Amino acid sequence: MRSRMHPKYYLSQEIFEREQQKIFRKVWLFAGLASLLPKNHSFITRKIAGIPVVIQNFNGELRAFENICLHRSAPLQQGFTGTRPLVCAYHAWSYDSQGQVKNIPDCDAIYRLDACEKKSLKLREFSLRQIGGLLFINLSSDPMKFEEQFSAQFIELLQSSAESYDSEVMMTTWHAKFNWKLVYENLRDANHVKYLHGKSLAKVASFPFSTKDGASMEQMELDCSPIGLRKDMRTFSYGGAEGTIEPIRWVPWLDKVERWGDTDAYFNWLSYPNLHIASGNGGYSFTIEHHVPVSPGETDVEIFFIAARKKVSYADSAQVLLSQMHYSKQIVGEDIAILEAVQAVLHEKAPLPTQGAYEYANRHIERWYTTLMETDHEI
Amino acid sequence: MKYRWIVGCGEFLDTAFHAWKQFRPDELIKRVEVRQNADYAFDCSVLDTLDPAKGSAFIAFNERFGNFKRLELMQAAIDHGLNLEPFISPMANVATDVVIGPNSFIGHHACIGHGSRIGFNTVIHNSVQIGIHSTINASCWIESGVQVGDNVEIGAHGILRMGAMIKKGTTVGDGCELGWPRLYHEDIPSKTVFDLRYDEPIYVYPGT
Repeated sequence: MRSRMHPKYYLSQEIFEREQQKIFRKVWLFAGLASLLPKNHSFITRKIAGIPVVIQNFNGELRAFENICLHRSAPLQQGFTGTRPLVCAYHAWSYDSQGQVKNIPDCDAIYRLDACEKKSLKLREFSLRQIGGLLFINLSSDPMKFEEQFSAQFIELLQSSAESYDSEVMMTTWHAKFNWKLVYENLRDANHVKYLHGKSLAKVASFPFSTKDGASMEQMELDCSPIGLRKDMRTFSYGGAEGTIEPIRWVPWLDKVERWGDTDAYFNWLSYPNLHIASGNGGYSFTIEHHVPVSPGETDVEIFFIAARKKVSYADSAQVLLSQMHYSKQIVGEDIAILEAVQAVLHEKAPLPTQGAYEYANRHIERWYTTLMETDHEI
Repeated sequence: MKYRWIVGCGEFLDTAFHAWKQFRPDELIKRVEVRQNADYAFDCSVLDTLDPAKGSAFIAFNERFGNFKRLELMQAAIDHGLNLEPFISPMANVATDVVIGPNSFIGHHACIGHGSRIGFNTVIHNSVQIGIHSTINASCWIESGVQVGDNVEIGAHGILRMGAMIKKGTTVGDGCELGWPRLYHEDIPSKTVFDLRYDEPIYVYPGT
C-alpha cells in the first residue's frame, strides 16, 4: 500500500502554516507541568503554535494569557520559568487574574485613557486544563471540549499516572532537524525497535504489535463533519502497557518513591498531536517528550524527566534523573538520527512510502490528516 | 612507619596513589581497591582490614553520580574510624591562608589564591587556577586546566570539566556540571548541567 503522505507534507512551509491553523490552534496541546507553578506569582512562558503564552499562578489559580503587553507589545514575562507578578518590565503595566489591566502608572497624567478604554484592556486568555500534573492549553476562541479530543479511558489513565508525578523536574531541549510528524509515525511503528534500537532499548524491552485488515478500514467512509473529524481524532491518542520489560533491577532510589501501579511493563501514552509520555520501568519514573514544530524541517524536542512522587527526599535525586536522561538520550538519539536522515533525503519527487498491514494506525491518521489539509473541512 | 591507604577504584585511584607515593616516602602507601556490585553499591568489607591506629586513608573515586559515590565511600571510611587528610601536591602553588578540607586533592601545578576555601572531598586536578577569595564547596571535581576567577563560589557537588572558565564574582549553585568549554559569566542555578552531548543546558526545577 502506498502512503498518502506526499513529501510536501514534510517540506512545504504553506502546509506547515495550514497545520498550525487547522490543528495546533484548534486542539488541546501540552503546555507544561503544574509543578513548575507551585506558588503565587509563579509563571512559565511558552511559544505554542507561534503564539507566546504565559501561564501564571494567581493565589493557586492557574491562568493562561497571550504573553504580550497591551501597551508596547513587550513580553509580560521572560525566561522559561520564574516567580513575579504579571507586570510588564517595559512601562510597568500590571494585570490581574482575569487578564484585565490592573494598574497603569501615571495613567491619568500621561496616558489620559478614559475609564471605558481602560476597562476594555484585557489580555487574550486561553483555556487551560489540568490532568494530574500535566497542563493542556487550547488556543481556540471556541475550544472543543477536552473530552471530545480524548477518550474517557485515555484521560483516566493519563490522570492516574500524572497524579503520581514528583514535583522535581529535569528538563532540556534538543533541536532536531525533522518534521514533527515523522516522530509520531515512528512512535506508532513498533517494528523499528528491534532494528534501530537493537543495542539499546531492544535489549531490555520488546513491543509486540499486530496487523489489521487495512482494506476494510480503507473502505469505511470518513465523516468529514467537525464532529466526525473530532471523533476520529479521539482514537489517535491512546496509552497503556505497550511493551514487556526485563525484570526491574533494584537500585536504592526505587524504595524512595511511591511507584505508580504495580505492573512491570513499558507504558506509553501518545497524545495527538505532539505529546509522548513513557514509563519504561513500570511507573517508577516518567519521560515526557513534547515535540514542538518550529518549521517544516525543524522540531524542538522538549524532554522532561520526573520520578514518581518521593516518599522521602534524598540528596542525589537530581542525579537519578540525570542518569535516566543520559540513558534516554541514547535511545531517543537513535530515533533522532534516523528521522533526521529521512528528512534530509526528502524532496518533492521522492517516492511515496510503501506501508505494510501492521502500519494501519499510521494509515488511519494519514487519511484524516490529508483530508483536513486538502479540504475546507475543519475540526 | 605509618600506613597511608589509598582507597577506591578506577583511574583516579591510580592518580591519587602515585601522587601520594611520589611525595610521601616517609609513609607506607598502599593501594586498596574497593569493588562495586551490580547495583553500584560499594563492597566496604575491605575497610574492616584497615586499623585506624596504624595509619590514615585517602578516598579516591571519580565524579560519578555527581560525586555522591565518592562521598558515600568517604562516609564509610569515617564510620570505620579512619582519618582522612587532604593531599596537597608540593608542586601546587597554594596561598598560605587557604583552608582545605579533609580528603581533598590538590594536583600538581594547581594555583589557589589567598583567602580561598576548598571544602572536604573536593578534587582539584593538575594545573587548575583558582583566584583569590573563592570558595569551592565540598565534594567538587575540577578537571585539569579549569580557570576559576576571583570571588567565585562553586556549590557542593559541582563538576567543572576541562575548558571551563568561570568569570570573577560568579556563583555556581550546588550540583552543577559545567561541561561546555566556554566562559561562564552569569550565576548558574543549582543542578544545571552543561553537557556537550546536549543542545541546551539541562535544568532542574524543584517544584516547591
